[in-house]
Amino acid sequence: MKNPSLTAKLTFGQRIGVFVKKSPARMAFIIAVFLYLVTIAINPAAFNASAIGSIIMLTLLLSFASAGQTIVLIGGGMDFGVGAVMSSAAILTTTIMNAQDGHFFQLLITALAMGALVGLLNGICSVKIGLPPMIVTMAIANVVTRMQYVLTEGSPMGYAGPQFIKSVTSRLFGVQFLPSIILYAFIIIPLVYFLLNRSRFGKQVYLVGNNPVAAKLSGINVAKVQVLTYVFSGLFAAFAGMLGAAYMNAARCQIFDNYAYESLIAVIIGGTLLSGGVGTYTGSIAGSLVMVVLSNMLTVIGLTQPQRNLFMGVILILLLILYNREKNVRQ
Amino acid sequence: MFELRAIEKRFDAVVALNGAHLQVEPGEIRALLGSNGSGKSTMIKVLAGLVNPNKGQVLIDGNPVTIQNGQDSRKLGIATAFQDLSLIPTMSVRDNILLGNEPRNKLGMVDKKAADELIDSLLKRFKIDCDPNAYVQTLMPSVQTMLEVAKAVSLKPRLLLLDEVTASLHYDEIEVLFSVMRELKEEGVAMLYVTHRMNEVFQICDTTTIMRSGETVTEGKMSDFTLDDIVYYMTGQRPETDAKGAGEHVEKADGEVLLDVQGMTVFPKVRNLSMRAYKGEIVGIGGLQGQGQSEFIRALLGAETVEDGTIIYDGKEAKFKSPAAAVVNGMGFISGERNREAMFPLRTIEENIIAGKVAKGNLFAFMTNKSNHAFANDAVEKYSIKIGELGHPANSLSGGNQQKLVVARWIAMQPKLLLLDDPTKGVDIHSRQEIHRILRKCADEGMTVIISSSESEELLAVSDRIYVFYEGAVSAVLSGANKTPEALVAAMMGMTE
Repeated sequence: MKNPSLTAKLTFGQRIGVFVKKSPARMAFIIAVFLYLVTIAINPAAFNASAIGSIIMLTLLLSFASAGQTIVLIGGGMDFGVGAVMSSAAILTTTIMNAQDGHFFQLLITALAMGALVGLLNGICSVKIGLPPMIVTMAIANVVTRMQYVLTEGSPMGYAGPQFIKSVTSRLFGVQFLPSIILYAFIIIPLVYFLLNRSRFGKQVYLVGNNPVAAKLSGINVAKVQVLTYVFSGLFAAFAGMLGAAYMNAARCQIFDNYAYESLIAVIIGGTLLSGGVGTYTGSIAGSLVMVVLSNMLTVIGLTQPQRNLFMGVILILLLILYNREKNVRQ
Repeated sequence: MFELRAIEKRFDAVVALNGAHLQVEPGEIRALLGSNGSGKSTMIKVLAGLVNPNKGQVLIDGNPVTIQNGQDSRKLGIATAFQDLSLIPTMSVRDNILLGNEPRNKLGMVDKKAADELIDSLLKRFKIDCDPNAYVQTLMPSVQTMLEVAKAVSLKPRLLLLDEVTASLHYDEIEVLFSVMRELKEEGVAMLYVTHRMNEVFQICDTTTIMRSGETVTEGKMSDFTLDDIVYYMTGQRPETDAKGAGEHVEKADGEVLLDVQGMTVFPKVRNLSMRAYKGEIVGIGGLQGQGQSEFIRALLGAETVEDGTIIYDGKEAKFKSPAAAVVNGMGFISGERNREAMFPLRTIEENIIAGKVAKGNLFAFMTNKSNHAFANDAVEKYSIKIGELGHPANSLSGGNQQKLVVARWIAMQPKLLLLDDPTKGVDIHSRQEIHRILRKCADEGMTVIISSSESEELLAVSDRIYVFYEGAVSAVLSGANKTPEALVAAMMGMTE
């Protein structure tokens, strides 16, 4: 028996629509390139190796922070704690390292443990206790943020270790557009790719996100899988926070808080559905690129910070409309 | 007279209707038939104003009309009872029926007295026994369906659309529905009736329109068609008769016991229930809707808590805490509620097939694309389940094929015990026969199958023995010569000798 799927001729607009739905990652890359070309057209001086280098740097940092967010969102949750965990990890970095390189492993373990703990808490509250993820992760993020102020008395001390800073910000082979954070990408990206696409866990995340009831009746331990997505989100955010501290040298309270929203939006631009079950990490990386290029463009135009925020908001709403409209394929 | 002419409807690249036509006269009950995905639901939705066709005309008494939305449809005298209910679960029975159709007094306020009378007479007419102030979500699915129909009839339509309403009705409720339909026919109401239950079509319908792949294949008087003809027009091929008819199944009752349930109680639906299943046997579970069949099956799987009783499974006491534990121990579960409990509509066909394999095993184990492909391909080929490209999303398939997909998922896992809860609900006759064939093949290879079904014909055709449930306990066990339609119906009504 055949489905009535005779292919009909589509108009140009419909074909674009189909393309966006089928490959949001590619679409996001195209948008990013287009935005960068516009930037160059406005100000040709924006096209230089050092600017490209800093775009890559910020894109990778955001994409590491978005890694966990991608997994959480695909699994049907949402994590507003990414920013608070990053800020806390950054403060841990400067405090523990105190401008020395000796304490790296101590830092790594402390920061990751902190991230995992916050993630576990997010997971237990939203999955096991059943509170709405958007609200409970925000509330926990708030507690984590206040802890930063209480423990550091509002002014965190120290700097990241010099070698650690170099491992993030120096240029590979002296080439301006190759920041050495790329080396970390060689670890993070394959790791996320394995988790989402090649491990049994990843397959379960997609199924759980698409239909938790069916997943449970198929024998998947839904609660465990969903809690784990939050734990991974905490781990990736903590690691991104460490690298962020190295990039900024010093840390202050709430330094990376905006990453909570930026990571969420980058992931959505990358084609991950807010309702779960669909999404790719490639898309999130592309989404991060769009975010960074867009912010770069607004700076080049010479807008003030409030004006930039305003434009950013309007453009993001437009992008969200383009991406998250309901499908009307088969009813 | 209502007429649809050369209707075309596309959803992006998918063509749902391709020049289909249909007409229905006042006082006529017309069956709209077709396999899953043939476009009959879309036709209904065009008339109900839920789908706007790309091309084609709707004519009433020869005059072209436009139906843009539900209000237009209502104004033209069309009322619809939907398969997926349009009732609002958190509102009361009364409010649901009156919604948008409240009787008003001179001041334009809701006339409570008239409303009460309307509700009372309607509930009486449909023999619905429920409190008008009860919330719809607290009612049994079959009562909800009756309400859905009652609501549509209360609008006093000229054309009544009934989209698979009997799928969840008991047989006594169907009788009530049919008598109401006959009354409406006398009053000159035109009716379009969509169903997969063929015996009903011959019982109630005057004429039929048969659709396939979005086109109208044939139409005519019901009396000019035989069941074989209908299957032929729906599928394009002549049906094979079942190789094994009722009563020919081999008795396996002397074999090895796989499952032994004693005195099981699951609050509030199952009371002190005992049953037994042997290796390589297909055990049917029959009964009217809501006699504890689903709860029993879910309790075996660990999705419901067992209050009391013992379950011996595969030689060990087994009260699983979660479906995950049951699956690890070799159980599989296929639900007929595919949208809610079985399908992953946004994921690919392949991912839907390997879901059972994905559920079982080490969380961070490596799963290669190659082994996944091979697994899915094996499942598809071994049981010749025809389902299109493995990389396409599962919601591109029609309902019948989606159900075959879920069957493939579990068959490929080779479970020791396969549980099915009304697996062929809303599945066309051809896919249904194919699912039966697959189950029989698995049982022959040693799998034990427990299948619950709301349809007597299905149970009689596929099972070796039938446990009939009545009010949460077994009212009869039918096997061999006892396995007759009469005995089954009697046991379903709780009449035991």
